[in-house]
Amino acid sequence: MIATSSAGVQKQTAKAKGFNAFEMAQSQFDHVADILKLDDAARDFLRVPMREFHFTIPVRMDDGKVKMFRGFRVQHNDARGPNKGGIRFHPHETVDTVRALAMWMTWKCSVVDIPLGGGKGGVICDPHNLSDREQEQICRGWIRTMARNVGPVQDVPAPDVMTAPKHMLWMLDEYETIHGVKAPGFITGKPVGMGGSLGRTEATGYGVVFTVREALKELGLKPSGCVAAFQGFGNVSQYAVRLFRQIGGKAICVSSWDQKDQKSYTFRRQDGVDPDQLLGITDRFGGIDKNKAKDLGYEILPGEAWIEQEADVLFPCALENQVTGANVKRIHKRVRLVAEGANGPTTPEADVVLKERGIFVIPDFLANAGGVSCSYFEQVQCNMNYFWEKDEVLGKLDTLMTSAYLAVSDCARKQKLFMRDAAYVIAVRRVVDACRQRGWF
Amino acid sequence: MPAARLVLIRKAAGLGGSRPAEEVPRFDRRFFDGRERFTRIGGGAIGGKAAGLWRSRRVLAERFQDADASGFIVEVPTLTVIATDLFEAFMDRNGLWDLALAEESDDRIADAFQKASLPAELLGDLRALIEKVHQPLAVRSSSRLEDDRARPFAGVYETKMIPNNQAEVDARFRGLTEAVKFVYASMFFRSAKNYIRAARRSLRRERMAVIIQEVVGRRHGERFYPDFSGVARSFGYYRSGNALPEDGVAILALGLGKTVVDGGLAWSYCPAYPAASAPFASARAQLKRTQLDFWAVNMGKPPAHDPMRETEYLLRCPLSEAEADGTLACVASTYDAQSDRLTPGLHGPGPRAVNFAPILVYDALPLNDLVRRLLAVAAEALGQKVEIEFAVTLGEGAAPARLGFLQMRPLAVADEFVDVAGSEMRGPGVLLASDSAMGNGVAKGIRDVVYVRPDRFEARLTGRIGAELARFNAGLMAAKRPYLLIGFGRWGSSDPGLGIPVDWGGICGARAIAEATLPDMNVDLSQGSHFFHNISSFGVGYFCVRHDGGFAVDWAWLERQRVVAQTELVRHVRLGSPLVVKVDGRTGRGVVRKGVRA
Repeated sequence: MIATSSAGVQKQTAKAKGFNAFEMAQSQFDHVADILKLDDAARDFLRVPMREFHFTIPVRMDDGKVKMFRGFRVQHNDARGPNKGGIRFHPHETVDTVRALAMWMTWKCSVVDIPLGGGKGGVICDPHNLSDREQEQICRGWIRTMARNVGPVQDVPAPDVMTAPKHMLWMLDEYETIHGVKAPGFITGKPVGMGGSLGRTEATGYGVVFTVREALKELGLKPSGCVAAFQGFGNVSQYAVRLFRQIGGKAICVSSWDQKDQKSYTFRRQDGVDPDQLLGITDRFGGIDKNKAKDLGYEILPGEAWIEQEADVLFPCALENQVTGANVKRIHKRVRLVAEGANGPTTPEADVVLKERGIFVIPDFLANAGGVSCSYFEQVQCNMNYFWEKDEVLGKLDTLMTSAYLAVSDCARKQKLFMRDAAYVIAVRRVVDACRQRGWF
Repeated sequence: MPAARLVLIRKAAGLGGSRPAEEVPRFDRRFFDGRERFTRIGGGAIGGKAAGLWRSRRVLAERFQDADASGFIVEVPTLTVIATDLFEAFMDRNGLWDLALAEESDDRIADAFQKASLPAELLGDLRALIEKVHQPLAVRSSSRLEDDRARPFAGVYETKMIPNNQAEVDARFRGLTEAVKFVYASMFFRSAKNYIRAARRSLRRERMAVIIQEVVGRRHGERFYPDFSGVARSFGYYRSGNALPEDGVAILALGLGKTVVDGGLAWSYCPAYPAASAPFASARAQLKRTQLDFWAVNMGKPPAHDPMRETEYLLRCPLSEAEADGTLACVASTYDAQSDRLTPGLHGPGPRAVNFAPILVYDALPLNDLVRRLLAVAAEALGQKVEIEFAVTLGEGAAPARLGFLQMRPLAVADEFVDVAGSEMRGPGVLLASDSAMGNGVAKGIRDVVYVRPDRFEARLTGRIGAELARFNAGLMAAKRPYLLIGFGRWGSSDPGLGIPVDWGGICGARAIAEATLPDMNVDLSQGSHFFHNISSFGVGYFCVRHDGGFAVDWAWLERQRVVAQTELVRHVRLGSPLVVKVDGRTGRGVVRKGVRA
C-alpha cells in the first residue's frame, strides 16, 4: 500500500499557480522571528536549510534501458539532534517543497520536544508506473549516494508520500551492507517485527485526535456532541476518524482521490462514516469505490465539499494548500476548530480569515506530530533493540502530544497569540536556544 | 424460588444501580494534586463497588469532618474509576469475547488479556496518572453485578496491589496496565463463571469497571501496609457471650485486609462488647488461633514477573517484622507462659497474640466507637444492614489516625421466622446439627451429598481436595442438582493447613455446607466468614460441627448411601429421600434431617 491515498490531490496542489511551499514556510518563520525579535544571524541561519543534497540516481529499468532519477535530501537544522524526516516519491516533487517540509520537521520535532532536528528527502518519480524492482533500485541508489550523510546519529529517514515500510527495509538493507553493521535505528517506519514499532500506523491519526480532545475541552465542547468532516482517507485520516469516533464524536465525511477519474470526491453519510466499511471498498491507491459507497448509503460529492460541511471540527488530513483564500469562506459557520492533520494545509491568506472568524486552529506541525513522535520511539527501541508493548507506545504518545498541546495553548493564552504563532514561538525558541548554546550564533 | 433454596426474604438493597458516569467528575490527569479525589475515565457505568464508594464519600463528608472528635480522619482514599465503556472497547477491539466466554483455563485467558492492547483513549490518562504517583495502588474490580441489590457479588473478581515505586515511569506504567488487564481477565476465570452461573446471571451482560485507588498505609523498609484493616457488619452470625446478631461483628487484622477477606486468622469481636473475653479455653489456645503473619505490599526487590498472579507484589510477613516496624505494639498482647496470661501490649520477650487488646480493652484508640458510628451511618444511608471495609494508619506524634473507607455494601439478611427446637437436633433422624449455624430458612429437596472422606483426609491434601470438589461441583451444577457439602477445617481458607482452599466458584452449587473438625484438623472454624456474602445472598445454610462438640455428623449413615462417584478423597452419594435443612438465624441453631421414605 502506498503511504498516501491522496497522491492525486498533490498533483492539483503542485499545479496550483503561484504556490510555493518554501516561501510559505519562510513567511511563517519571518512572522515568528518578528514576534521573538530574532537577530539577523538567527534569521539568516534558520530561514534556509543547513545542508542540501541534490543528486542523480541511475536505474536500469525492467526493459533494459537506464533511466536517471533526481533525488534530494534537505537537512534543515540539527541543533537539537539528528535530522529526521521522510522520503517522498512523487513525479511533481520540487526541492522547494522538500525544503519547506524539512523546515516544518525542525519545528515539529521541537514543538513536541523530542531531541531531533528537521530533514526531508525525495525522488522525482511516479511509483504507479514503476515495478517493485525498479523502486527497490531507486531506494538502494538513494542510499548509496547518501550513505555517508545519513545514519542513526546523523539523519534518520522515514516513509512519506508514496513510500512504505518495504522501501524503508530496502534502504536499511543497503545502508547496513555499505557500512557492514546492523543499524535498525537508521531508519523508521519499518514493518513490525523488522524493527518497526507497534502503534506507528495509528500514531499520526491518533495524535491529531489527542490534540483535538484537549482543544474541545478548552472550547467547552463534549466529544460526544461533536460532528467532524475529514479531508483524505489515507493513514492519518483513517485513524483519526477511528479515534474520534471512539471518544464519542461523529465523522460525517471523508474524501479520497479517484485514480481513474483523476479527481477527488467527498463521501458523506450524515449518520456517520464507518472507516472499516470504507476500507473494504478502497483500492490499493486509497481510492474509495463510488458505486459501492452509494450502495452503503454514502452521498458522493465533489472533492472540495468536505470544507463546507456543517460540522464542529474540520480535519484537513490530505496534503498542503487545501484551505486557501479561495475556499476558506465556504467553511460552515458551525465550525469551531480546524485540526491540521496534513502538512501545510492552510495558506497564510486562509489563516487570516480563520483568525477573523475566531476559528480555533491546531497547527499542522503540532497536530500531526504523532507520527514523528512515534518514529522517535521506534528509533529509541531500535537503538536499545528492545521493543515496547502497544500500550506503552500509545500511552507515551498521548502524554507527549497532550503536554505539547497544553504548552502551546498556555503560550497562546498568556501571550495572546494565535495557536499557530504560539506553536512557532515555542518551537523556534527551542531551536534558537539550542543553536545559541552550541555557539553557532 | 426453588424448593431446595433456603427461603430468604431480602430487603431492597437501596444502593441503586451503577451510578451514571456523568455524576462523577472526569479524571483531569491529576491524582493526588487534583481538585477532585474521586474521578472517572470513560463515559460508561462505574460499577457497584465504585457506586458504593461514591455514595460513601458523600455521607462521610457530611458526617465526619476532618479529624473530628473521634480523633480520626475518615475518608475514601483517592481513586479514579475506569468506566465500563472502556472495558467493552478493550474486549471488542481485541476480539476477546469468544475466548473469554469459552471454557478455557484461567491461565490461557489471563495470557490472552495480557497480550491485548488497552483502548488508546485510556492509555494517556493511565500514563499521566502513573507519571505523578509513586506510591502503591490497588487495582480493584467494580463490576455491574457488584451492584446487584439482591445478590451483591463479593470476592468474585480479583484485586491486584502494585508497589508502583519503580524509578522508571515505564516500569510503573507496565505494572498498572498489567494489573488492569488482570482484573478484566478475572471476570472470565472459572470460579467467576461458576459463580455467575449459580447466581443465574448472564456473563455476556456483565461489564467491568476498574478502580485505581491509593493503598492506605505507610512504608516500613521494604513493606507498605496499614497498621490494621478490618471488616464490620451490622448483623453478625458470630455469637459470643451476650452478643446478639443485631449487635454486629467486626473482624480486624494487622496489615492489608487480604487476611480478613481471605478468611485467614483474624480478630473477631462484637462491637457492642469490644472488651469481652474471647471464647478460648485458655490464653495458650488464643495464642494459637490469632494472626501469625500479615500481608504487605512488597516495596523491595522486584519479584519474578508474573502478571497472572494476584499476589505478585505482596509479601506475607511474620509478626516479628511488624514488631521491628513498630506496628505490633498497639494491636498485640504478650503471652506469659508462667501465668498463662496475655498482657495487652509488648512486654519483654514472649509470644505475641494479635488480639487488639491495647485498642479494644485499654482504649488506646477510640476505634470501636468509630466503627459503631460508621456502621450506623452506613446502615442509615442504605436503609438496611450493611458491611463496611476499612484500613487504618495511626498518626505519627500528635497527628490523627487515618481511616480509609474502602467499601460499603448492603447485607442480605433473612427475616423469615424459623424455629429449630432442641429436640429436633438429636436422634437417629439427624444427619448433622449445629448450634452455630448460619443462614435462615428451610430447604427441602436436596438428594445429593458430596463429602470429604474422613478416613482419607489429611491436611497436606487440602489443595487436591479443593480441585476435586470443583469438578464435582461443576457436574452437579450442570445437572442442576443442589447438594449438601461436608468438609473439614475452614472452607475457603488461604492457608491449606487450616482448611480446604477453595474459592466460592468451586462450591457454589451447594445449597447447604458443613465444616467439621477432626482430631487432626482441630482448628477454629470459619463460621462462614470467608464466604459470608455468598452464603447469605445465595441463601445457603452453613453448619459448623466440631468433633468434640455436642453434635456430630452421622458418617456411618452416609457410608451406607448409594455412591454416584468417588475419588480417593471425595465421595458423592445420592439419597433415596430428600434431606430437610433448617436454620434458625436468630439462635444459630441448625439441623440437616434425613428424609423419610414415603
